[in-house]
Amino acid sequence: MNNPTELRGQIKQMLVENLMLQISAEEIGDDEPLFGPGGLGLDSVDALQIAVALEKNYRLKLSDVEVARKMLQTVNTIAAAIQAHQTPPQ
Amino acid sequence: MNRRIILITGANGALGRATAQTFLDESPGNFVWLGVNRRREHAETLAAKNPDRCRVISLDVTRPDAWKSAVAEIVAAHERLDVLVNNAGTHDDALLAQMKWESWHGVMAVNLEGVFHGCQAVLPVMISQRNGRIINLASLSALLAPPGQTNYAAAKAGVVALTQSLAKEVARIGITVNTVCPGYLDTEALAGLDADAKKRALAQIPMRRFGRPEEVAAAIRFLACAGAGYITGSTLKIDGGIF
Repeated sequence: MNNPTELRGQIKQMLVENLMLQISAEEIGDDEPLFGPGGLGLDSVDALQIAVALEKNYRLKLSDVEVARKMLQTVNTIAAAIQAHQTPPQ
Repeated sequence: MNRRIILITGANGALGRATAQTFLDESPGNFVWLGVNRRREHAETLAAKNPDRCRVISLDVTRPDAWKSAVAEIVAAHERLDVLVNNAGTHDDALLAQMKWESWHGVMAVNLEGVFHGCQAVLPVMISQRNGRIINLASLSALLAPPGQTNYAAAKAGVVALTQSLAKEVARIGITVNTVCPGYLDTEALAGLDADAKKRALAQIPMRRFGRPEEVAAAIRFLACAGAGYITGSTLKIDGGIF
């Protein structure tokens, strides 16, 4: 299980590297919207790349579009999804 | 040494084999997977001649699960897949007024939906690599749409459009997608024509000869090479000058 702060840092680094963002990982806010105006301004092709990276790095598969939309809102929502995926069921 | 992993569908046919041979000749580091469905004897012969660099893989292009397992096997072996050549194709000509739905659907399933399934299967790998080359085989029929080929021409025109749309989607990820449109090739497809039909076909070709599979394979290899990295969404006619 990842430390939450460390996990958020990994996610931001993954976004910068996979999407070739022209900003540093530290410049991305935990609750900053990833898509649309007022945030990072990512688009559907970026979402596709994030989905592939999440499956490759965390074995987290985004099979449902609605679930993906909710999950990919911010770094925090992605981190929560990864943690929920990694937590063994009780 | 250049080392690329290439998957060619419809690899039992003359064009598939010529394409495979071209990639094998390109670099001793290349590894070619020969996707085959019902017939595989020629592909098996080619693989037997190149046991360390060439392997036959069962792949019914109409089945997403077949694509999934084929790509998984390739990635398990090499941890990458650099080039996909969607070459599998079929035709079942008839005038539309008499065409059975099975003829329409069968041609669509292989020629158009097969390309859709193939692209969808390899994209996660290529996106992850941030690199890839997809070459889709269409046909001059996509552009000229001869009578008796509503199913084939529509499917191949669909491949051209699919290619252009997908090329825009993945351009920034380092993946190129292009279409090759062969004209009359001296392959098994042409063997089905009678002498008169061949004569009429030849009369349409400014070069007055049929194309060789190797001539199309050379274009496919070019579109897959590093030097073609800025070419995407293009449609390359290889037809001896018909237009």
